[in-house]
Amino acid sequence: MHMNTPPILKLRHLLTDVSDHGKQHLMRVEADLLQTTYLLNKAIEDLSASFISVHDSVTKQQQILDSLVEQHHFNHEETKQLEVFKQNIVNEVNAVITGLQFQDLTSQLLTRTVNHVNGLKDLLQELVTHDDAIVPGNEQEQLISFLEEVDRKLHASSHNLAAGSRPSVKSKDMATGDIELF
Amino acid sequence: MAKTILAVDDSGSLRQMVAFSLKAAGYDVVQAVDGQDGLDKAKEKTVDLVLTDQNMPIMDGLTLIKNLRELGSYQKVPILMLTTESSDEMKAKGKAAGANGWLVKPFDPKRLIEVVQKVIGS
Repeated sequence: MHMNTPPILKLRHLLTDVSDHGKQHLMRVEADLLQTTYLLNKAIEDLSASFISVHDSVTKQQQILDSLVEQHHFNHEETKQLEVFKQNIVNEVNAVITGLQFQDLTSQLLTRTVNHVNGLKDLLQELVTHDDAIVPGNEQEQLISFLEEVDRKLHASSHNLAAGSRPSVKSKDMATGDIELF
Repeated sequence: MAKTILAVDDSGSLRQMVAFSLKAAGYDVVQAVDGQDGLDKAKEKTVDLVLTDQNMPIMDGLTLIKNLRELGSYQKVPILMLTTESSDEMKAKGKAAGANGWLVKPFDPKRLIEVVQKVIGS
């Protein structure tokens, strides 16, 4: 840049560079987040289908076992053992159903993050969106006015971004949520 | 005849887990992908219970509840929220809109069935 370039133009160039570099990095972050979302959804979808298929088979197997127990005389210990296995399966099925729901929670967080990334791209765009023509002289005033305008736009964009976000998911463990009947 | 539950959630995996749990307990389940879809399906056939998420595209859960409560056939049908939202403020909004209960995700299938049975019976 020429040595005599007015400071306001230098500042605009600098902000344009910050905006362009920032947006490029954010686009990579967005692409990775979308790919993560896709892989996670696909993995859980396949796991869920397998789980339901296994559950169907186990249920049918259990029905046959129940029928055999009725028809044949198993000793008390064997019958008791079968009941223990049956209860274990029920407990594990419940645990799987609870566990699989964390994909939904994770997916919500990823969506929220992608929205924030897009909001940040818009915010960076504010750094290069300025219509005021540069008039020779009064550089100090123009610089101050320009910075105030950028600051105002950034605040407005940041506020809109925060206001438009879904609430964050706060779960920190695999515990299930509370229930309240009104 | 089995009772029918309308499960509204934009997450396919969540709907699948809700439907799986409820069907295993003997209920029929109708699924909807968002509030608008839920409202359309609720109008097609009056169900015994509505279980809805809050944050969904097109129409959220609170708006769905308000719309359902304006329909004559849904003024007394129990509606439960199943959502990640857990703030008292949101619960109060849900109650004001006409929800009968609030369940925070993730749900435990056993407890979900207990609540459903308490609200509409087996």
